This record gives sequence, C-alpha cells and structure tokens, in this order.
Amino acid sequence: MPTPLLAAPSPEGPTPAPAAEPRREPQGLFLSGTSAGDAETLNWILAADSASFSYSGQTMDSLATYNTQWQVVLRHLAKPVEVSPDGLVYTITIRDDLQWTGGIKVTAEDYVYTLKNLMFSDWLSYTYKEDWEEMVNGEKVTVRPEVIDDTTFTITRQTVDPEFVDNAIYGLTPYPKHIALKYEGDIKAFTQAEEFNNLGYTGNMGPYIYQEWIRNDKFLVIRNPDFYMGQEDGSPHFEEYEIKIFGTTAARHAAMEAGDITYTGIDPPQVAKFAKMENINMYHNPTSGYTLITYNLRQNGWEGLKDKSVRQALSMSIDKKAVARSVFKGFADPAFSFIPGPSPWFTEEGVPKFGVGPLYDKQRARDMLREAGYGAREVDGRPVVLGPDGEPLKLVLATNSGNKQREDIAFLVRQELGDLGIEVEMKLVPWASLLRQYMNNRVPGSDQEPRFNNGPEAVSEKEWDIMVMGFSTHPIAPSGSSVFYKSDGGINYWGFSNPRVDELFERVKSREALDIEARKKMYAELSRLIAEDQSVDFLVYPQAHPGFQANVDGIEPGMNMGYSYHKWYFLQR
Amino acid sequence: MSRLSARLGGVRNALFLLAVLGLGLILLADILLVDHILDPWGYFNLFFIITALLYGVYPLFVNRRLTRYYWERTRRNRIAILGLAFIAFLTLVALVGPLFIPDPTRGNIGEEDMPPLGISYEQSFYDADSGRIVSQVVTGTWARPLGTDDRGRDLLAMLISGARISLRVGLQAILVSISIGVIIGLVSAYRGGVVDQVLMRFTDIMMTFPTFILLVLVVSIFDANLNLIILFIGIFGWTGAARMVRSEALSLRTRDFITASRSLGASDSRIIFRHLMPNVMSIIIVMMTLGIPSVILAEAALSFIGLGDPTVASWGQILKAGQESLDTTWWVAVEPGIMLFLTVLAFNFFGDGLRDAFDPRSQV
Amino acid sequence: MKDHIIRRLFYALIIAWGVTTITFMLLLASPNSPADKYLANLSTRIQDPAEMKAAIEARYGLDRPWYRQYGEYVANIARGDWGWSFSTSMPVMKLIGVHWKYSFQLIALSMIFSSVLGILIGIYSAVRQYTRTDYLATFLSFIGISIPNFWLGIMLILIFAVQLGWFKTFYDTSLAMFSLANLKALVLPVITLGTASMAGYTRYVRSATLDNLRKDFVRTARAKGLPERTVIGRHVFRNAMLPVITIIMWDLSGVVFGGAYLTEVVFGIPGLGRISLNAVLAEDYPVVMAITLIGSAIVLLTNLVTDIAYTYLDPRIKYD
Repeated sequence: MPTPLLAAPSPEGPTPAPAAEPRREPQGLFLSGTSAGDAETLNWILAADSASFSYSGQTMDSLATYNTQWQVVLRHLAKPVEVSPDGLVYTITIRDDLQWTGGIKVTAEDYVYTLKNLMFSDWLSYTYKEDWEEMVNGEKVTVRPEVIDDTTFTITRQTVDPEFVDNAIYGLTPYPKHIALKYEGDIKAFTQAEEFNNLGYTGNMGPYIYQEWIRNDKFLVIRNPDFYMGQEDGSPHFEEYEIKIFGTTAARHAAMEAGDITYTGIDPPQVAKFAKMENINMYHNPTSGYTLITYNLRQNGWEGLKDKSVRQALSMSIDKKAVARSVFKGFADPAFSFIPGPSPWFTEEGVPKFGVGPLYDKQRARDMLREAGYGAREVDGRPVVLGPDGEPLKLVLATNSGNKQREDIAFLVRQELGDLGIEVEMKLVPWASLLRQYMNNRVPGSDQEPRFNNGPEAVSEKEWDIMVMGFSTHPIAPSGSSVFYKSDGGINYWGFSNPRVDELFERVKSREALDIEARKKMYAELSRLIAEDQSVDFLVYPQAHPGFQANVDGIEPGMNMGYSYHKWYFLQR
Repeated sequence: MSRLSARLGGVRNALFLLAVLGLGLILLADILLVDHILDPWGYFNLFFIITALLYGVYPLFVNRRLTRYYWERTRRNRIAILGLAFIAFLTLVALVGPLFIPDPTRGNIGEEDMPPLGISYEQSFYDADSGRIVSQVVTGTWARPLGTDDRGRDLLAMLISGARISLRVGLQAILVSISIGVIIGLVSAYRGGVVDQVLMRFTDIMMTFPTFILLVLVVSIFDANLNLIILFIGIFGWTGAARMVRSEALSLRTRDFITASRSLGASDSRIIFRHLMPNVMSIIIVMMTLGIPSVILAEAALSFIGLGDPTVASWGQILKAGQESLDTTWWVAVEPGIMLFLTVLAFNFFGDGLRDAFDPRSQV
Repeated sequence: MKDHIIRRLFYALIIAWGVTTITFMLLLASPNSPADKYLANLSTRIQDPAEMKAAIEARYGLDRPWYRQYGEYVANIARGDWGWSFSTSMPVMKLIGVHWKYSFQLIALSMIFSSVLGILIGIYSAVRQYTRTDYLATFLSFIGISIPNFWLGIMLILIFAVQLGWFKTFYDTSLAMFSLANLKALVLPVITLGTASMAGYTRYVRSATLDNLRKDFVRTARAKGLPERTVIGRHVFRNAMLPVITIIMWDLSGVVFGGAYLTEVVFGIPGLGRISLNAVLAEDYPVVMAITLIGSAIVLLTNLVTDIAYTYLDPRIKYD
C-alpha cells in the first residue's frame, strides 16, 4: 500500500527473516483511537487521504516495509529487489503463497496489470502516479513493467534513481486483475464496485479481513486465519481490530484514560500526564516530518525577502526552543535541515543553526536588517523596522486553520517578529483555501492552470510573505524532497531557486549516487546550502507519542513501531 | 398634544433622513475619495445608533409616564433586574476594559498553563537537556488572577476582550435579523395581497431550512471571518421576527387609530413609521433581548466545531481551544464557559422580565 | 380536512424544491470545489494539482455545466436515486439508511425525556405558583436554557464517565439497539440534548397552565365541586397542551439539526449530524442536498402534524 511518505536501498540492507516465535492463541479486540477524521474510500487506488490507505492497509500488506531501525522488511516480496548493475532494471520476485479471496493465486501479472492498466491509465487518474514517472529528454514518461514468470516481474527505467525502490516499489500493492477487468475503463463503475469498496478480494494478503465500516464511527476488521505470515506463530494475535473515530481529541484522550480504548496517539500537552499513569505505556518516537516557515520569494512577496541576509535575520529572531517548549511542551527538537534526525543521511556538519544559541539574537538581526536597508526606530519604547519609504514594515503570515499546533506556531512567530519590530498580519484559512489562494500560482495574465510552481514569474492569488507549513521526508530516500527545493520542483510554491541545489538534486538521482559515500556528501552539501539560503526556516521536528494500555505486549519500541503490529498481543491476566 | 407629537415626529423623521443622508455621503466619500474611513460594520452601527436614539430612546423620553410604568413593572421582577445589572456591568467591561488590560493576544513564553489565583497545578514538560519529563507545582498569583492558557495568554485579558467580541456578535447579528424581519413583516402586513403572499412563502422556505446546517454550510463554503459569521447568523435568523411583526402589525392595522390616520390621508411610509413601528417596538425589544443569547451560543457552537474565526479570541474560541485539555488545564475552558452561561442567563432573565412588563398576558 | 392535507402536501413539495434549489446554488457559489477539498487531503504530495483537479471533477461528474447537474439531480431525486456520496464512498440512500437510526434513537429519547419532565414540572410549578418549588423550578429552567449544550456534554463526560466511571466515554455502536446497555449508553447524550428543551417546555407549560387556571371554565369546574385532580388533568392540561404541542414541534427541527448535531460530535455518535457536518466540510453535494431535503421534510411534516393535532384537541379549529 503506498503510504503518503516521500524515497535508495537502505544502507544497512534488508534484514534476515525473523526467527520463529511461539504460537499464541488469538484473543480480544484491539481498539485504536483516532480523531483525525474518517477515510474517504476503501477503494484505495482512488484515495488521496492517509486514513484510506491506513484502513485498507489492515487487510493488505505491500511488497516491503521498514522496521524500527529503518531496515527493509520483506512482506509480499520473496527476496530483496534485484537491481541491474546499470541501475535501470529492477527484478521483483513475489511470494508464491499469496492468494486472492476464493483461492485464486496472486501472480506477477496482477502487479503489472495494476501498474499498466490502472495506475498509469488516463481514465483512473491514480493519485500517486508521479512516483512511477521519470523525466526523459524533458518529457514525463512512466516506467516500463514487464511480466517474467508467475512470481517475477521487472520494472525498467531510462534514468537512474537509486531511491526509486524506496519511493515507489516497496509500497506497491496489487489490485486483482480478474475483478478489475470487469470495470476497466469505466470510472463510475470502478468507483462504486462492490468488491473494491468492501475489500472483498484481499484473500490471505493481510493480517485482517474487512468486517464493517460505520462512517465517522469505526472501521472493524477481524483476524485473517489464512494470513500468509501467520501460519507459524498464529499472528495476528487479536480476534478483532477496530479503528474508532472520535469527534474531538478531548474525547479520545478521555477514552484512553478511562481504559475504553487500547491505543491512541497522545498529544504533547497530555503526554506528561499519561506517562505517569501505571496502566498506560507511553513511547516517545521521532517522526519523519518537520514544521517550518517558508518565505515568499515570488513577485507578490515583500521584496526584502529576496535578500538572503534579510531572511536570515528573520530566522534569527525566532526562538526554536521556545517553539518546542511552548507549543510542544518540549516534545519536539529544534530543526535545521530538511533531513530528519533518524535518517542515515542526516548530518549537522556545516549546517547553520538559526534560532538557537548565538544565532538567536534579535539585536544582531536588526543590525543585519539595517545593512540590508531596513533600519529600525524606537516608537513608544519599542523597536519598529522601517521600509525604504520610512513606513513601518508589515508582513502577512498565512497558514491553515484547524490545526492547533500550526496556529500556535503562527502566533508565536508573529510575536517574535513583533518583538523584532515587524508587525505581522495573520491569515488563518482552511486548508483547501490556503492551497488555492496562497500556494497555487500562475503567471498573471496567462491562461495557465494554477499549480504550486508555474515558473519564476508566477504569483499566488493572494499576497503573503510568511507561511507556517509542515513537510515530511522519507528518511531513507530524501531525494523525494527535490519537489520542494528544486527551482522547477512541483511543490516549490514559494519560488526558491539555487542552481547548485538543482544540480545536486539531479546528481542524487544519477549513477554516481549509487555510491553511498558520494551520496552522503551530496546530502550534506544540500542540507548546508538549503539551510544557509534560509528560503525556509526549519522550526522543529515534532515527536510522536503512542500510548498503549499496559496489557498490550510484543511491541518493538521505536519509530515505525506499527510495522510489526500483527505480532502485538494481550498479556494474560 | 397629538399635534405637538405629530410635529415632533416630523422633525424626528427629518433628522433621521438627514443622518442617513450624512452617512450615505461619508460612504460615498469612502468609496470614491478616501480609502477606508469606516468598515462596513461602522456604518451599520452608526445607522442603528441613530435609529435607536430617534425611535427608541427618544419616545421613551417623551413618553415618560409610559416609560415609568414599564420600568416599574420590570423592576418588580428582581431576577430581571439582576440580569440587567449583569448586562450593564458586562457592557461597561467590554467598552472600557480593554483599555486597562495587557494585549490579550500576546502569549507569554514561560508563563503557559498558569492556574487561577490560589489554585495549584503541576506543570510538566519535556526537558531535552536532561532527557526527562520535568514537573513543577505552580500556584496562581495576582499577576494572572484567572490564569493563562497554553500559549501563556492572560485569561482575564482574554475574557475581557472576548466580552467585547461576544457582545458585538450578539448585538450586531440580532440587529441584522431584526431589521430584515421587521422590514419584511411590516411590508408584508401593510401591503398584503401578492406581496404578502410572496414574502410569507419565502419566509416559509427560510423557516423550513435546517438553520444550523445552513449556517455551517455557508460559513464553511465562504471561509467566513467574524464579520461574515455575524452577517450569516443575522441573515438566517429573521424569520421568527418577520412572522411576529407581521401578525402584530396585522392586528394593529385594523385598529381605529390607523384607519383614522389613513382616512386623513397619511402616506404609507408615514403610517408605517409613525404608527406601526412604535407599536411593534415592544415586541422588537423583547425579541432582541431574548435573541441575543441564542446568537452568542450559535457563534460559540460554530467555534466549537472548528468553524469560528481563529484570529479572534471570542469566548467560543477560547472554550474550543481549552476543551482539548479540559482534564488538565480545566480553567481555560471552564472560565469562558461560565462567562457564556452567565451572559446568556442574564439576557434570558432580563428579556423575560421585559416581556412580562410589556405584555401582561404572558406570565412565563 | 382531506383537501387541506393534500393542499399542504403540495405546498410542502414546493417548499422542499425551494430549499434544495437554494442549497444547490450555495454549493455552486463555493469558491472551493469538492475537487479542491479532495486535493487538500493530498497536502503537499501531489505535484500537478491542475491535472488532478480536472480528473477528480470528471470522476464526480462536476465537469458538466451547472444546469445539467441540477436537472439531473432533480430528476434523480424524483426517481429515488439520491446519488453517490464521494466523501464516504457509498450510495447516499444507504448512508442515510445506516445512520438515521443513531440520530433517531437519540432524538426520540430526548424528546420523551424533555417533554414528559417538562410538562410535569411545568404543571406542578404552575399549580404551586409562588411557592419555593415553583421558584426553584423556574430558576433551574433558566439555567437549563442558558447552558451551552456541547459544554454540558463535555462536563457530563468528564464527571460521570472519566471521574466516576459510571458510563463509557463514547457511544458504542456495537450495542443492540433495543437493549438496556444501549439505553444506558444514551443516558448522558439524552440529558445533554434534552436539558435545554426540557427547560423551555417547563416554562411554556407553566405559563399555559397559569393562563388556563384563570379561565372561566376552570372556575366553573371547581365551583361544581370537581376534584382538583380532575380539574387540572382534564380541563387545564388539555387546553394547555395546544401551545405546548406547537412549541415541541417547532423545537424539533432545532433539536434535530442544532443540538443533536453538537451532541453527536461530543459523544461520538455517528448520526446524521456528524455525517452532514463531514459532508458539508467535504462539500459532498449529494449528501448535503439529501440532508437539507430531509431536514426540511421533517419540519414540513411536523407542521402538518401540529395542524392535525390542533383540530383534534381544539374542536373550534376547522380546516375547510
């Protein structure tokens, strides 16, 4: 199942198959609480939201996943993906014991069909098609899948991308060809197909089988006795697994405290309280996301922002530790790079640390602004930064409403810049409107369709200067971040451009990057350049805080702890 | 006596027209010459202040005997007076309070989650340097008598500025709906016939709408800020007023004094403004007082489901933010909740007393 | 009477048409199309929103001109096909078929709770006018109508579910509908939803009863030496019911689409309120239209029922 994460074979290489464990009797109902909103569809190939993938993922594994150490763990794969020496041909071998419902064998043909006839087709408009595309002579083309035999297929690329296997292949899950054929070409029939909306085809491919989905209430799956990985140890060890949807986070936390649900993610303000409870086990894990602010470098942003020293000055006046402390109650780490800490590519070497220590200094920031032509004046005992026309500066800060942490950060940034001497006007708008009015852009007067990056001349519908945002980076495959930081990156909505960064992002997707050490150097330089340019100010890496009732055992702590959730079990009382 | 008051009415109408004309000129200048003299609500408010002075306060002043009669009747209802006292206090706080408090939107780093005066609370946060959760017991002080929220904002300051916002929401939205309701009700009753049919069928359609869903729909569709929210609440709340005004006006229409003045050749607008308006005034005042609480609650409910204006700290917004951590920093949600409750209660008390005073028949 | 009902039904049809049309216009006027809402889920993952948006609009049939969409919608409604909900991926009819019962049981129980208690307290309060009980009832009813119901719900959960542990913190849909456990699970939601209405009814019943107590026929009945219970029960009660029924019916639509909405969010009940809230946020046309249509149908129907109830309770009223 493609997870909404961005992708190189793991430097450590795949782990060997785990040793056989004692067989356990399945029991009980595992109740997982969420308040993030319900899924849109179980027909996941049409979905855009992460809940849809997480629901259907209960019934279907993908080719491979990662363990808590970010090592590759094989799922539907029979052996690690083989890459040809020239890095262009990927040979994928699936297990030969996978079955669709009704005992029909899952073959390589199903995978190739899913790619060619569904994901790459025009009529279906698969959301994550871009994962399977490459630029050849300035044109976007899809990769070429081919069936070799019943359990083997190849994917051929024309350009080298060492991280293609992480960004795309491991997440691949097939649709049943024998069913999909009935609906092929008819999007309406495909959308409403009973088999797909009831996950009625998943056979032995996942730990659970679909049972019931009451919208805005719960998604219930029952143990799959045929689960391909469960034949020896009897996994999964829960009779039923339910995702319960809550209307408010307060209700979700209350349910956890009262013992009504088995597991939920605890929000930072509640972590300390739950950590003290004896009947609850808390974990503190890093995540692959980061919170940042982007500066608008396009024509409709404040022109001062085009000056690197001005951006650095602004970043220098925002206290990252205060953000971590005030918004996340300390459960977040100051961020300085687009590569998160747990990634093997992460390095702090040469990366400037704006917003902490000596580089958190408002006076120095004011001096830098003065040198750039924006002097400050005392008004009523408070500094006010002035523009070249002598008028006080006023910037527009935009972010999406409905996300408390982001709103809190926005207010904190406003306050920090206010203390620096720059008045900030807040625009808190719902996500869809933020995308449409502030992030999408087009060249004025042209007939372009709005996109996140319509070239250097394009501007957004509404003016803005600063935006609070959250991105995430695949820890194993950070090259996916080129969509953010390359001049022509598809999501580079703030207009960042640095030729050297562009070149490096090209090179991490080339033959020379097959050499791990060479790639490490490239990522180190990218981290440094992007941080020095400060077109974005990385604020913090938030943490995740999964909380479990104490009777759940078998959990392997760490990031990605859910990868082995089929091995969790209830302690006998 | 009647001639004198008639003349006064003439002067009053002239004054009213003059004031409206003046407002119109400023508006014109605003649009054509200078940028932004007043925001749209400024015009709206001024218009209503003028209307209220000329047609609300002035007649009460002229008709002192009647005023005293109503006042005596209201005063007997002790609970209504209690409500009035609270409303007066709140209005005072909302008007002058913000002058004396620190910036309510400003967070104070290091002062997050402070409990109210005299209450102790164990604060916890993760200390990255030592790698463990650090806890400390803090007790509320006079510096932050009502405590602070998770951004370290002073709750007393927030409640005071929130009072201004919530009262504004209540008053303006109800003015919008009452004015639409009164106009539609009066026109409908007075013109009758096809006009009445069309207006009343439209009222039926609007009444049939599930109002709250409609409100949620438009607020969500148009990303409403506070001004739009007020407008929408007002626009969807006029049906009751229109019907009541219409039926009251209908029963008045056939009364002697109206037929008399019509036979004397009085114009339509004169009859509406001179005779019908003042006589439905008592209903309007009662409807306004009793309507304000539901409007304030509607804004709070919108905030609660996440559709309020996040840049404005109304009571509903504070409550919404606070309810997420109700089991730890409970005061953040409890305090605005109490304020909402007391305000709504006060308006209900007072409105009820007024209704009793104006209408001896209804003794609820 | 029959003619009257037919006329009213015809009229209701026109109003329902008006309501759906206005809703459709509002949805059309939205600057964000449903495709924008869908794309918003992708957050910063998709690189070419323009291409994707066109594809999504084609998928949902939103790429056709508005009058064709509208015409087709009205025709489909008439045919009984209410469309496919794209935010929940199921037919709208089925969606409502699954979720209406959660709202219905909540609203029905709450109406029973509020009207029975409201009427009893109201009459008692009126009969004992100006006693301490009366003052207490009046005061409490004021509190009842003034307390924001979502707030009351949160408080009840905090006290009775979290602190005392008497109830579950959320509503459990796996309970059989007609079981004691289900009834117990609905106690807090029903109190949350019913309190405001109950307080309102108390006040109306009290005043209506007081009005009637002063009427001549009551004096006559008393003078005739009828026992007080008969006087109150037969004469006063029956006459006081008229305005009360109007109020209850009038209140119903407010309860269904105001209070129930918020109560469902607070207690996690997957009723029509939560369904419609999500549909509105996702701009799921077919669901939003269906919900407003059903909402207005409820109002129209209750109005009709009120009319008919009047003719039975008050023989003076007649419709020709």
